[in-house]
Amino acid sequence: MAETRDMVQIEALEKYFGEDKERVHVLKGVSLNIPEGSLYTFLGPSGCGKTTTLRCVAGLERPDGGRISIGGQTVFASGERVYVPTNKRPIGMVFQSYAIWPHMTVAENVAYPLTIQRKSKDEIKKRVGEVLKVVGLDGLEDRPAPKLSGGQQQRVAFARALINEPKVMLLDEPLSNLDAKLRVQMRSEIKALQRRTNITTIFVTHDQAEALAISDQIAVMHGGVLIEVGAPHQLYTRPKRRFTATFLGLTNLLNGKVLEVSGDSQPGKMQTKKGVLSFIPAPGLKKDQAAVISIRPENIPLHKTQPQGLENVVDGIITEAIFMGDSYQCKVAVADDIVAVHTHPFNAVNVGDKVYLHLDPASCNGLPADDKEGVDESMLGD
Amino acid sequence: MLLYGSIRSAPIGEPGAHFTIANYVKAYADKEFYLLLLNSVYYALGTCTLTFLIGTFLAWVSERTNTPCKKLFMVMSLIPFIIPGILSTISWILLLSPKIGLINIVVKEALGLDAAPFNVYSMWGMIWAESIHLYPLVFLLMSAAFRNMDTSLEEAALTSGSSTFQTFRTVTLPLMRPAMVSVLLINFIRGIEAFEVPALIGVPAKISVFTTKIFLAIHQFPSDFGLAGAYAVTLLVISTVGVLIYGRITRKEERYATVTGKGYRPRVVDLGPWKWLTFGISSLIFMLAVILPIFVLLWSSFIPYYGVPSWELAGKMTWGNYHYILNYPLAATAFKNSFYLSVGTATLVMLLTSVIAWITVKTKLPGRAFLDTMCFIPIAMPGIVLGVSLIWVYLTIPIPIYGTIWVLLLAYMTKYIPYGIRAASASMIQINKELEEASFTAGGTWFQTFWKIILPLLMPGFTAGWIYISIIALRELSTSILLYSYNSTVLSIMAFDLWEGGQYTYVCALGVLMVLLLVTMAGIARKLGAKIGIAE
Repeated sequence: MAETRDMVQIEALEKYFGEDKERVHVLKGVSLNIPEGSLYTFLGPSGCGKTTTLRCVAGLERPDGGRISIGGQTVFASGERVYVPTNKRPIGMVFQSYAIWPHMTVAENVAYPLTIQRKSKDEIKKRVGEVLKVVGLDGLEDRPAPKLSGGQQQRVAFARALINEPKVMLLDEPLSNLDAKLRVQMRSEIKALQRRTNITTIFVTHDQAEALAISDQIAVMHGGVLIEVGAPHQLYTRPKRRFTATFLGLTNLLNGKVLEVSGDSQPGKMQTKKGVLSFIPAPGLKKDQAAVISIRPENIPLHKTQPQGLENVVDGIITEAIFMGDSYQCKVAVADDIVAVHTHPFNAVNVGDKVYLHLDPASCNGLPADDKEGVDESMLGD
Repeated sequence: MLLYGSIRSAPIGEPGAHFTIANYVKAYADKEFYLLLLNSVYYALGTCTLTFLIGTFLAWVSERTNTPCKKLFMVMSLIPFIIPGILSTISWILLLSPKIGLINIVVKEALGLDAAPFNVYSMWGMIWAESIHLYPLVFLLMSAAFRNMDTSLEEAALTSGSSTFQTFRTVTLPLMRPAMVSVLLINFIRGIEAFEVPALIGVPAKISVFTTKIFLAIHQFPSDFGLAGAYAVTLLVISTVGVLIYGRITRKEERYATVTGKGYRPRVVDLGPWKWLTFGISSLIFMLAVILPIFVLLWSSFIPYYGVPSWELAGKMTWGNYHYILNYPLAATAFKNSFYLSVGTATLVMLLTSVIAWITVKTKLPGRAFLDTMCFIPIAMPGIVLGVSLIWVYLTIPIPIYGTIWVLLLAYMTKYIPYGIRAASASMIQINKELEEASFTAGGTWFQTFWKIILPLLMPGFTAGWIYISIIALRELSTSILLYSYNSTVLSIMAFDLWEGGQYTYVCALGVLMVLLLVTMAGIARKLGAKIGIAE
């Protein structure tokens, strides 16, 4: 694989908010490398530190420890007392509220980064025209900013962030203020724009669907700690951590203890309440360790009669079956646990039916059960 | 800011250090002192009660009732703001003086009385003249309180089964209480530091309060600075205590305010036929507060000698008074000084307070709370006390600005910073932090961001503060009167001198010119502000 350069490097970032007694540790040694030209997402629930990390990259927050470099230039280093102010960093940023200045027109807003560098009028005009074309707003130059729709404001914010040709684009939940339909549309536009310009982009969101749809890489954060980094498909199908499995989409967790594990993604065996089950172990899982099996509801085939010659079959009673159009969403009581199963709508199911669930070992991810390290429960929620 | 601190702390520290406690002994041992204290408190209490009643009534009428023409009342309530205190006082002398008072003469003739029914040269006359001038502030504050009250809180009480009166007692009143107490307090403070009315009415009526006593102690020959200082410190202590309590209450009030959201409409009470009564009372107040004073000022400014309006006199109307004023030897200087001072003070104060507000609202710098408090302190300092303290500072520190326009500029700035900071921080809070962060991420420096983003966004609050400060600076009398010299005369001083000289008609002409100047300035400021800031 060809070596890609890291555009943004974050090492052991530390940040506290508040003073004295009310001091809160919001970033606990976050380290990340963001490859050049990628669309990189910080994903996590409110208060996980994703926005703070982004603001540290922008220089809007001053970290209490660690190191940040952009394009090879160190912009913050606690040891060497380096701190490049925001306005000297090669960045463009789109804010959650878009932060379109209401006292300026579209063109004035977009031209601002060039105006303050005292670029010539002709050059500014040319660049503004170009960049407005890129975001699809050409012709609206003289519109006063408050007379724009939400989607248009967002495009203005993008144009303003792009005009300086930054090395890094920072997007702070840019879609959260749009209605659902527009959000999906802007999502694809952002991705297309990023592909076209090839500018390294950091995207902050708490919406897992958004993160999966848009990203090259996702960094899952929780409680000020980086949980796991990976491509969307890998994080969804083969999470390495319990938090990732539960935060991205729906999943069933079955508690147990590892009986047998050989390493190298070879199936292992786990003792659960439903007997011994086979699973694909996460790296580092050891024998006798308390663990969970994570299996997604859509990966569980449901059989009316006991299937023969299959591993990991458990039986249970359907306690709930909700017809959703594209699927039945069932709850199945297995021993004293409830397992969620999504099945094809042609598969007629009734409450009270006895069914057999095939927990295909290839779909069963064995994860460390005790995935609480560094996760402060009090930081959950907003 | 250090300079500031020195100005302020000096007078407080100095009387003890330099002048010994003899002045206090002299002041406190005098029986007159207690009479003075009694008078001052009586006067301030009367003023704050009366202003509260008038202002709250009008606020209630315009916010919560269906009284006819309430929009008109709302606008007219604010007109007394623009009439300088000295003019409003003069107009009331011209209306209620036992000898020449217009109302007195009319009522006397109408009822066939022997003696004048009203005498402005009395404690109640003073309180009346002061209140009718001060009530717009109460109106504004109480209107805001009425408007910001979430009526669903009242409705919740009503749906819980409580009667209208019970609701008023158990919900409305407790919710309004912080606002009411703070309004009363601020008017008490303003009453105790009032100068124009006590000087123009109280002195001839031989009713002394602290402010006039200080003025007289300095204006007598030789000046008794020590005694003035002792009185000044006493006055300062009273007003500081008031301001401290005020600060506490408003902080609590803000906590109340944050509980409620926004976007509700106050419930309007249908008064039925009673609305004609409230209409009548409101009209009467306007007749008294706005129309009569303005009429008497205008009238007097056009007649050659003062007299009761009559057709005979009307025939003699002339521009003579205006001619006289404009050719008055000091007039040009006074106009120029007043104009420069009010524009300069308003602009400098608003620029300075915008920066301070940015620091206190948007940053987390250590000491920002202290800075905020520092800016609030001058509000506790009555104008006359500020004058005394500045005399001291410049008599002890040899900076050659005493007696120049610069000392007035400095005094005005000190005095009006609290007003500026309120206007500036209130608008600063409304500016989303991301708007300025967007400028930083776009490569803007702090100065560029402040100049191109924050200031334009601040413009509505900036303009409002600017207009208010330029108005009150233009009519400032109590500080200027201790600090002016021949070359730094201002309009209000000129009016005061003319009045002392008995030239009533000239004063009125000058007054009309002052009001015109104020209206023009306010108009231009609004236009400019709208141009630079957000178009509404």
